[in-house]
Amino acid sequence: MQGQKPKNRLLEIIPGLTSWGILVFLVLLAVLKPVACAIIVIIFDFYWIIRTAYLTTLLIMAYRKLAQQRNLDWLESCRKLGPRNNWQDVYHLIIFPVYKEGLDILRPSLEAIRHAHYPKEKMIIVMAFEKRFSGATENAEALEKEFSRTFFEYISTFHPDNLTGEKRTKGANATWAAKQAKVLLNKRGVPLENVIVSCFDADTCVDKEYFGCLTYHFLTYPKPHQASYQPIPVYTNNIWQAPSFARLVETSASFCQMIESMRLEKFVTFSSHSMSFKTLVAIDYWPVDMVSDDSVVYWKAFLYYKGDYRVVPLYTAVSMDIAYSNNFFKTLVVQYKQKRRWAWGVENFPYVVSRFKDIKEIPFLSKARRAFHLLESHITWAVWANIIILIAPLPILLGGVLFSQKPIGYNLPKITGLLLNFTLGTSFVWIVLSRIILPPRPKDVKWIKNIVMILEWVIVPFIILLLGSTPALDAQTRLMLGRYMEFSATEKRRKVV
Amino acid sequence: MSGEQRIRAVLFYLGVFIFFTGLPFILSSSLGYKFDRKSLKFTKTGLIVLKTQPQGANIYLDNTLLKEKTPATINELLPGRYNIRLELEDHYSYSSDAQVRGGNVTRLEKIILFPSRPDIKKLNKDTISSFFMDEPRGAIYYAREDETSIYKSDLDGGRFEKIASYLPISPPAKKWKLSPDRLKFFYFNAHQIGVVSLEQEKAPPGIKCFACVIDHPLSAIHDVFWHSDSFHIIIVTATKIEIQEAENSATPVTLVALNKKNGSTFYDSRTDTLYFLDSQKAEDGILYDNVYKLELATKLYPFQELIKLAPSFEKPESKQNAGAKTEK
Repeated sequence: MQGQKPKNRLLEIIPGLTSWGILVFLVLLAVLKPVACAIIVIIFDFYWIIRTAYLTTLLIMAYRKLAQQRNLDWLESCRKLGPRNNWQDVYHLIIFPVYKEGLDILRPSLEAIRHAHYPKEKMIIVMAFEKRFSGATENAEALEKEFSRTFFEYISTFHPDNLTGEKRTKGANATWAAKQAKVLLNKRGVPLENVIVSCFDADTCVDKEYFGCLTYHFLTYPKPHQASYQPIPVYTNNIWQAPSFARLVETSASFCQMIESMRLEKFVTFSSHSMSFKTLVAIDYWPVDMVSDDSVVYWKAFLYYKGDYRVVPLYTAVSMDIAYSNNFFKTLVVQYKQKRRWAWGVENFPYVVSRFKDIKEIPFLSKARRAFHLLESHITWAVWANIIILIAPLPILLGGVLFSQKPIGYNLPKITGLLLNFTLGTSFVWIVLSRIILPPRPKDVKWIKNIVMILEWVIVPFIILLLGSTPALDAQTRLMLGRYMEFSATEKRRKVV
Repeated sequence: MSGEQRIRAVLFYLGVFIFFTGLPFILSSSLGYKFDRKSLKFTKTGLIVLKTQPQGANIYLDNTLLKEKTPATINELLPGRYNIRLELEDHYSYSSDAQVRGGNVTRLEKIILFPSRPDIKKLNKDTISSFFMDEPRGAIYYAREDETSIYKSDLDGGRFEKIASYLPISPPAKKWKLSPDRLKFFYFNAHQIGVVSLEQEKAPPGIKCFACVIDHPLSAIHDVFWHSDSFHIIIVTATKIEIQEAENSATPVTLVALNKKNGSTFYDSRTDTLYFLDSQKAEDGILYDNVYKLELATKLYPFQELIKLAPSFEKPESKQNAGAKTEK
């Protein structure tokens, strides 16, 4: 789908060119017109203070909703819905695309479903293995032995390598599995419109009430087939064992997702999510040649329904693993690659914009707003930390004596310092919330880790630059240069480092 | 629209409102402009940055006491000349006029407020005639001529104690110098050099007397230096440069015969190099002053090497006669 037409190439170039353009422009401005650069930095700092305050408030609101709804007895709520919305008609198709993940990762995911507060006879599990992985059959057999009798249906699929038109992506595997599942459902006489499909990362452990919550929202949403259902991803499976900076990054990612859940007009599916199987079939499943299948599937449905498609936030959590490796630098690389893969979601921009012109039913303003949101979010991701940390001091460093003798030369570090202090204030909120969502400390982890987990927040400035903006800029640069990424599974562990 | 979305919308528009109303004030203040409520105009101002050592001084701007204490920034000052007075208890006050220009920062950042009652402390316990410092070791040595004794204390006068006795010379010594190994002193006047050991209970290596006086009757002593071995001394007199062991039975060796009396000298004890000024006759028969370098570390007499470092200020008419021609 990428880079086939000149117009598409132009759209692929726009995000990277804009981000680089902003950064290069500001650096040149710092050299040639330090006062003008300082003015822009002050405007940006002030904007960022307000934005941080606004987003932190949204985070608190989202957390409040999560706390209220996470442990509700959703199945009971489903039962009360009445015969018009009969929850017993609903089936859950749960697909786990698997690559190299071992049984230590897969077993807890299936255990979490087994312990879910929802009838297992309404669940179809599809373990979607990659044929090219040598241990796939062995793992499949081991899991079948343990779990096949628990659910309504349990199948293992093996996605062949190098199918025409496919790339080695998670979406290709999930699509293959979903097609197998469709055959099975047809065979069992289950109508597709009664099936909700959940595509989970291999390490996803659902909350006990997840399926009840999902079913309730599916049955009560006015257009249930015109919506995706997005839980809050929390990276807590191995949070006590993961290294500090990896823990911080993933906690921040969870919080960002909580914030996004409050901004419905921008909300797009991310990672593990659910949707109507009927819709999935109608839109021809997940993309098989794009890395960011989780968000592209939303855009496919959005375009299919001419803009009348939404993401419904589910205030229940799915917990996943923090990506880390066996030493500091390897973990840094693993984290960097994972964030770059997330930032590769920038490929959505050319994909969506190039298709907007064919859909006349979506109002121009709506198209423009969605395109702008997409572009703005990725550009902000790539430049904000660079502006605050690297470019803000440049007018002082490069402006010389003349600049330092002007009031703005004197005020710039003060305002930048104020921003830092304010960010520390909001960090306090983030620290408190990160403590609240933390699972109980395992017995083999020392209590001192509680202190470490608070103190580690001082490395946030380092993190935001290295694992915040840089991977995003990297991803945009690759797209700009036509060096397309392929999906690479993130290394995950559950051992103490 | 749900309740949360309504709150969110309010927060969003509140943020937009704060941004657009606050930004003009933040920017104008950053750029040094002040909003005049009467004229409803922004006026370009300047600011004064004050830093003092010690901090916490009261600030008077044109005789008006300000709330802030140093370090402080006085913002939004209209262009003009202002009198700044800084007052801190038990310190001399500071006063200065500062010129403020619109859009500029006037920095007064290196102000030291000196104590009005300086902390003077007597260090020695008894009467002393002179003192000399060993700063690297944190020690002060005191000489007491009436009892020809040497005392020692730390830099605060603590641990004041007698450490040695020395032989008197007449007239009294004009300079004292501690050996590099810090075990001996010499002191000298125009014709005598006294040497004293600081460890009089046990003889330090290489010293033959605990206290002795070396007479130097023929030529007036200009300066004396310790060699880095703490065993030899370099004596600069009016007519020559000599080296000898630091004891009275040693025979001096003349290193250089000098033409210029009382020329300046400098001894670099790290490299055992003597720099000195002397006059030498050039080919035109005229005496010129030059600076010479005498290395004493490894090429001691008779292999000493003299290097002329720079031509002296020569007369214009003799420029063709480079000072290098007058090498010894």
